[in-house]
Amino acid sequence: MNLSQWKMTIGWLVRDTFRQSLAYGICWILLGVSVLAIGVCASAGVTGSVQLAEPGENPDFLPRNDRDSRNPAKLKQSGVVVVAGDLTLAFGAIRIPLARDGQGAVHFLQLVLAGGVADTLGLLLALVWTAGFLPGFLDGRSISVLLAKPAPRWVLLAGKYVGVLTFVLCHATLFVGGTWLAIGLRTHVWDPTYLWCIPLLLLHFAVFFSMSLLLAVCTRSTVVCVFGSILFWFMTWGLNYGRHVLAASATAMPDGHFSSAIMWLVDLGYWILPKPADFSVLLFDALDAKNYFGPLFDLKTLQAHGFSIGLSIATSLAFTAYTLFASARRFATIDY
Amino acid sequence: MISNTKAAVRFEDVTKVYAAGPFRRGVRALDGIRLSIDAGEVFGLVGPNRAGKTTLVKILLSICRPTSGRIMRLGLHWKDRRTLARVGYVHESQAFPRYLTAQALLEFYGALSFQPKATVRRRAGELLERFGLADRNGEPIARFSKGMLQRLALSQSLINDPDLLVLDEPSEGMDLTARRVLDEVIAERKQQGRTAILVSHHLNDIQRLCDRVAVIRAGKVAFAGRVSELIGAQTGATNPSLISDWPAEHPSHDRSLEEALEPLYAGAER
Repeated sequence: MNLSQWKMTIGWLVRDTFRQSLAYGICWILLGVSVLAIGVCASAGVTGSVQLAEPGENPDFLPRNDRDSRNPAKLKQSGVVVVAGDLTLAFGAIRIPLARDGQGAVHFLQLVLAGGVADTLGLLLALVWTAGFLPGFLDGRSISVLLAKPAPRWVLLAGKYVGVLTFVLCHATLFVGGTWLAIGLRTHVWDPTYLWCIPLLLLHFAVFFSMSLLLAVCTRSTVVCVFGSILFWFMTWGLNYGRHVLAASATAMPDGHFSSAIMWLVDLGYWILPKPADFSVLLFDALDAKNYFGPLFDLKTLQAHGFSIGLSIATSLAFTAYTLFASARRFATIDY
Repeated sequence: MISNTKAAVRFEDVTKVYAAGPFRRGVRALDGIRLSIDAGEVFGLVGPNRAGKTTLVKILLSICRPTSGRIMRLGLHWKDRRTLARVGYVHESQAFPRYLTAQALLEFYGALSFQPKATVRRRAGELLERFGLADRNGEPIARFSKGMLQRLALSQSLINDPDLLVLDEPSEGMDLTARRVLDEVIAERKQQGRTAILVSHHLNDIQRLCDRVAVIRAGKVAFAGRVSELIGAQTGATNPSLISDWPAEHPSHDRSLEEALEPLYAGAER
């Protein structure tokens, strides 16, 4: 099998996945969510914003309904800026008073869209909806004829995996790119860091879909794939979050309650398994979430305990690679 | 060692054992199968249910792995997947993706046999026309009847113009017109020097279409040779009550073949 035949096989399986998503209605549902989000952004606007004094400067702001904001002398003396603008939605029908400058309001909106809608709700829904793709594909009555084709089994599996990732990439690009464009056109805030959400969302999904793939190969059951991958996500999220909490409390209480054996076990699990909470840390860091919600974790404290963005991504990818390899090996030895 | 340079397919002492699991017992599905199928031959595989016919076919197509033995497919070892580009296959109970149209389905399976796009398009049109599906080619196959799906499965197996055609119960659910087309296709391919393996419970199909036949019984070859030899060898040794799983709705074959098979099937249920 030469390179062009590989590409052709994978290309056709990607195409088949898109057809499947259209037939199952998943494509239309995700498209509807994206169009709705883009519509919300296209109706958004910022009025009466204050400007930051210097690029990157983070001056103090005072809400306009604060008692001190009505005292011009005091304000002039302190140099604090009073926020007077609104974030408007639905073309001005909904007005939300700004907590700080207009750019901050836009960031907040993007944070809700990327962190809340796409990275949490969207990711879990995509995992649930796409979990049925593989068991159907791997069913003995469906796949027998494909197995009698010249492409090796692992290429068939890779083609389907790449197909689902391409599908998710298209929707992530539409969602993030569309909302970015709509917000930019309406508010003139063009923050390219928001676009980092696309690769981060894809990476996050790719890691957990590999577990769905392994479960599909081993069981060919949609129910196991759906519940298994979601359970795995929650379990790894809990372990990932718990590890950072333990690390932070160990710093706060050097002679704390946790034995070194527990710390070692948690650390081992953390380094072996994927790290969904770290993906959220990266996403929130890219979007300056600490300015709005407070930090999810203090990155500096985490870094003091061996946290490294590169290492976190690399080990999650290593787990994904191992899972894909195990799936391909298992699939290669199944008798249909 | 079976020596036959003209062989399109060779099985040498092929054994398949399905290992026992926590909820199933181990099964010796094939036990030292030795067969040789010549190029240009139409070869029939018959036998009672669970005799191992489908397992043998699946091993030939690399869908299933042998426990031991050696298989040659179109001159190459069974692990060499290149020859699969020259093979067509109809599965006994195929489930196609229901969201595809007939045209899209043939293009999909044709492309996965590494056929050029233009060739696949042309052949898909021809095959759909030939099997009476041309006017439904744009419809999702979810709306197709069982007979239409079977005709589509047969079209799919021919999309790459294969040198070896493996048909596992191809005429199930087909009406008379479609069966006639199936006969024509097999006859044409035989004339072109292509090989076909036909697995069927329809003895009239076997008798009408096949040059040679093998009877598989309890994972072993109980007989291999010409249909006429089978009838000649077994005539007289019959007991109709021994055929427990013979479908009653197969009417028109020569009774002598059925009678010849009776002793070979006797007590074969595993």
